[in-house]
Order: sequence, then structure tokens, then C-alpha cells
Amino acid sequence: MSSWRQFAAILRKDIVMELRTKEMLTSMGLYAFLVLLIYYLAVSQANGGFNVGYIAAGLLWLAIVFTSLLGLNRSLVHEKDQGCLDALLLSPIDRPVIFFGKAVGNLLFLLIVEVLVVPMFYFLFLLKTGLVGPVWMLALALLVGSIGIAGMGTMLATMSVNTKGKDFILAVLFVPIMFPLLYAVVAASTAVVMGDAVFFGEWAKQYWQSLGLAAGYDSIMLLAAYGLYEFIIGA
Amino acid sequence: MEATARKTFLGIPVDAWMYGLLFVGTVLTTIDFVLAFFVAPLVIGAGAGGTAVINGVAVSNQLLFSQKIFYFHVPVAISSFLVFFFTAYYGVRFLMTKDKKYDTKARIATEVTLLFVVLTLVTGDIWTRFEWGAWWVWEPRLTTYFIMTLLVIAYFVLRNSIEDEERRATYGAVFGIIAFLDAPISFAITRLIPSSVHPVVLRTGGGLTGVQLASFLMGMFGMLMIAWVVFQFRQREEFARERLDAAKAALEG
Amino acid sequence: MPENTSTDLALEVRELSRTFGARKALSGVTFDVPKGAFLSIFGPNGAGKTTMLKILSTLGNPSSGTAKVLGYNVVDDSVELREHIGFISHNPLLYPDLTAEENLEFFAEIYCLENPKERIRELLTAVELDHRRLDLVSAFSRGMLQRLSIARALLHSPEIIFLDEPYSGLDPHAMDILDSLIAQVREQHTFVMVSHDLQKGLELCSHALILAKGKVVLFEERDNIDEAEFSALYRQTVGMGVS
Repeated sequence: MSSWRQFAAILRKDIVMELRTKEMLTSMGLYAFLVLLIYYLAVSQANGGFNVGYIAAGLLWLAIVFTSLLGLNRSLVHEKDQGCLDALLLSPIDRPVIFFGKAVGNLLFLLIVEVLVVPMFYFLFLLKTGLVGPVWMLALALLVGSIGIAGMGTMLATMSVNTKGKDFILAVLFVPIMFPLLYAVVAASTAVVMGDAVFFGEWAKQYWQSLGLAAGYDSIMLLAAYGLYEFIIGA
Repeated sequence: MEATARKTFLGIPVDAWMYGLLFVGTVLTTIDFVLAFFVAPLVIGAGAGGTAVINGVAVSNQLLFSQKIFYFHVPVAISSFLVFFFTAYYGVRFLMTKDKKYDTKARIATEVTLLFVVLTLVTGDIWTRFEWGAWWVWEPRLTTYFIMTLLVIAYFVLRNSIEDEERRATYGAVFGIIAFLDAPISFAITRLIPSSVHPVVLRTGGGLTGVQLASFLMGMFGMLMIAWVVFQFRQREEFARERLDAAKAALEG
Repeated sequence: MPENTSTDLALEVRELSRTFGARKALSGVTFDVPKGAFLSIFGPNGAGKTTMLKILSTLGNPSSGTAKVLGYNVVDDSVELREHIGFISHNPLLYPDLTAEENLEFFAEIYCLENPKERIRELLTAVELDHRRLDLVSAFSRGMLQRLSIARALLHSPEIIFLDEPYSGLDPHAMDILDSLIAQVREQHTFVMVSHDLQKGLELCSHALILAKGKVVLFEERDNIDEAEFSALYRQTVGMGVS
């Protein structure tokens, strides 16, 4: 049995299904744009001196969180529908391979949505102030955060899809668990957006430290999720 | 149903031990309180009626009283974390054995955690009122315990939304373990990354004198004793209820 | 190494139990079924039939007792065992947004088959769906779904096939097709079927098992069963209702 072959099959299946229906990407993308509009509402009455840059990173990650909650649920509902998950469980596949297959698929879709939304966000809110740090630093922060969101999110959604509350349950579980990661990546992203205005002369150091902590979160929590996944997928 | 023999420990009935421990625990916690307020000296250097200079800032005597809350707040905070450990521990035991009794224990441990975590937040709130004059501050410990409250509530919400007993226990165990891992990570990250809005003033009681330390530790032991007794009473109640349910089912069967 | 003592038995079940807290889904179930047999499992709702099927097909674990399928222990050797198990359910277990061919390709990859394309072609022809292989499964009728589901189940040439209420919701024509397909592969395969259809179950089986409230009420070879007695016993058991 080749785990790699099985992993690739799951990933390919999710991509083919998504390309065909475009269900997840359109709903996630549209949702993200709606959130951006709501952001404008939130800052529309702030006085002229208000610099959106201070909260820009937070707003951006918030949009990503809301969008993820939407997408994660749909990804797992596909499996539960028609009992397909049972067919997978009956096959000689290691349970964690299912986890990786689904999680990487979710990560991919999330990154695609980010590629669309982040430039849009910049265009709508940050054109005037611009970024202090280079774009690649922001991209790296987005990647590290998205890995955690996709991984833990896949695990939590596997549970929530089997409950009565579904979307609501996912949100209730997701936010407190993801808090430390989100806190760290917002700090890292703010460092890139605002630089020394917020971090008093050492924004790069703060960036790397925050990113390191976020990566630490990813490592520990994803390891735990990997170890625990077989208990929840069979239940 | 045959009557279970009265269990004894060292010749004294277990019940008596329970009440005894509850009493001792309460007494210890009260002593902790009393000592804190009346006997333990104020932070080193502060005279009774004047001001003290701490970290280069003049602090009035009234604010120093806020430090008294530490004697309750910090022990209950640490205790709640220790009890939360048992949520994760019993979760692990359940996943290993699939024995329902571990699920019941994990649930009760989480109930006790909820109680203690709420007490932590309430006393923390009182502390910030005295310390900062504000009813809430997003400082690392309070933020982490706020998250812990949400995690514990999430645990119960999750359980309530699942009808199948075994799945409920399995999901509860897994989430309990993940939640327990998340709490210290939250604390570490909020401590290491300063929030630019609220600079963290770290005053964790460094420099406690003998009496201060003694009352602090007494409070902790007292609280852990109370936690343990509450756990045992709840556990006994739950197991009795389960035996009753089983008997009912057997009669119908 | 999985312990596969060369055996004639397809199923070897000993004191199988499944309990959680006070709830007993199965208790003390014991029986043997030889290879090449067709076992029909009957019983009222809540009798433990589905639980039994799940444990035998490695979808769930017992609380105590052992079960060996084709010589493999269902708990310890589950991964190896799964290579030899096919499962047909009242759910099609197919992805609606993929085509028939894509569905089979996916499962072929999951089972790490050697010549997937050939095998898929072979099966699609056998279930008479070759001309629809490029169509989305969401457009299929119930009968077509069941046929494709059979193709999926047989893809990896399993030795033992589990059927969970396979006839439910099928019109007579689809039922005939299912019957003929089962007949085609009847040789060299072992079948285990859970069904509410007493007549069909008896017709096809070589061994019959009646479960009620998690316990074995009757386990007998078909040749030793008198239909009238069996019907009466069955009705009596089902009348006992939910456990």
C-alpha cells in the first residue's frame, strides 16, 4: 500500500470536484469580499487622522478566519454525504493519510482565496499607507497561519460535521483553539504593515519572533491532531 | 440491588474523610485569606500610611491592597489549570480503554475546572479594578483564562450536540486533550508577544516573604482539597445515576 | 506479520460483545461460517445486526471477544483484512460530483491497484455502465447507482463481500440486476448480508443467523431450516421489538 498514492488520490479528487463545481472557491471568495465591504462600514466614520494600518493585519486575518469557517465545513460535508467516508474507512488506508489529504486540500483552497483577497484588501485600505516591510514577509506570515488554520480546522470540522450544530459548533471550537496562532500571526503581520510605528525600532525582530511562535504552535498542535485523528474519524 | 458495604480507609469511613477534607480545605483557604489581609506584610518597602516606590513609580497604599487578591486569584488560577489537566488525563485513559467511567470522570473534572476558571476570572477582575482602575485588562493571565473559559464551555457545547454516547465521549476526550494543550500555549504566546495596547506589568509576587509564601501555599492546598472533594461527590452522584439507569434498562429488557 | 492461519473458515466469531456503559449492542455472539458461504443476518431493529456487520468489516471494534474474517483478526490485522473486503450498502458510497469512471479511478488508487484502467473497463462492462462512464454520478438513477456501487465494491477483487440492506429502495428491474451480478460472482466468494427481506435472504443464503437484543437467537445451515418454522420464529423475534 502506498500512502503517497492514496494521499495524492484524495487531493486530486478534491481538486477535480472543486474545479468542476467551483462551490467552495466561489462561496469563500464572495464571502471574503462581502467582509471587506463590511470593513469599510466599520471604518467609514473614523476621522481623517485614523490610520487603518494599525488594525489592518487584524482585519485581514479576521476575514480569513470567517472565510475558513465557511470552507472547512463544506469540505467535510462532501465526505459525509452519501456515506463516502465509510467507503474510505473500509479501504486499507491509514487514517492520518485521510487527514493529510483533506487538510492539504483545504490549505490549497484557502491559499487561493487569499491570493485573491489580500491584494483586494491592500487596494481598498492600504494604498495610502503602504507596507513597511517587504511583501514576501507578509506572504510568509499568511502561509504559516494558513497551515495552522487548515490543519486544526480540518480536524475540528471532522468532529463538527457529525454534530447537530455543525457550523455553529465549528466556530465555537475553532476560535478558542486558534487564538494563540491568530494572536501571533496578527503580530507578525502588523510588524510588516506598520513597522516601527508599532514596534519601536525593532519590527523585524518582533516579526521573526512572532512567526517563530506561530510555527511552534503549528508544530505542536498539528502533531497532536495527527495523533488524535484516527480516534475521531472512526467514531 | 445489594447495598454496597460502607467503604473505609484506615478504619474511618470514606464519607467521614470527605467531609473532613472539605472542612480542612475550607479552613485552609480561609486562613489564607485572613492572613493575606491582616497579617502578611505589604510589598516590601511600603509603609502603612504612605507610598512606596516600585519600579521607579510611586504607588499609593490603596493600590497595594490589590496585591492581596493575588493570594486568592493566583492559587485558584493554578488550581484550575491542575484540574484541567485531569480532563485531558481522563480523556487519554478513555481513548485507550473505551471505558465509559473515564468519560464520566473527564466530564466531572471539566465541571470543576469551569467553576475554578470562573472564580479565577472574577477575582482577576477585582484585581484589575484595584490595580488599574479598570474593570478588565487584556493581560496575559486573564486573557488565557478567558480563553480557557471558552474552551471549557466549548467542551460542554460539543458534548450536548452529539446524541450517540460513545461518539460524545470520544469527541469530548479528543477536544479535552487539544484544549488542555492550547491553554499553556496561549499563555506563552500572550506573554512573549507584548500587546502594544496594554503593556504588561509583570508582578507575579516575586520577593514573597515567609508568611506570604506560607499563606499562598496554604490557599493552594486548601483549594485543591476542595476541588478533589467536589470531584468525588459529583463522581459518586454520577456513578449512582448510571447504575440506576442500567438497572432500569435491565428491568425493561 | 498478520496471523493468517490457513483456514476454511470465512468467519470465526467467539463471544463477541459490544457494550458502552450500560448499553449492550452485542453479547456473547459465537458462530463459524465456512468460505464460499452466503450468510443472511436477520433481526429486528436495534438487534445488533448493523453493529455486527460493522465489526466484521472493520468499521468498528468489539469491546470483548474475537472475530476473525478470512483468518485475519478484525482488530489486529484490520489493515491487511481491508484489502479483501468489499462492501455494498443501501447508500451508494459514491461521489456525486465525479463521473462514474473518476469514482472508480479514485478507489482504484486508494486500493493501490496494479492495472487500474483495465480493471475499471472490465467492471464497467460487467455492470453495463460502460456507455455512461463519462457521466456525472449525480445524474444516475437508483438502479444505476447500485450497479456502479457493485463495481466499486468488486474493484479490488475482494474475497468476502458484505451487503447492508442492498435491496432497499430498488425497483424490481434493479433488483434483478443485483441478483444476476451476485450470481455471477457467487463462486469463490463469501457473502454476508443484512436484510429485512426474509424471502430474499432465505433464498440466497447457505447459512442463516437471527439476532435479537444483541444475542444469537438462531444460527443454522440453510439445509437444516424448515421455512415455515423459520418464518414463525422470525416473526416472533421481530415482534419482540427494539431492545
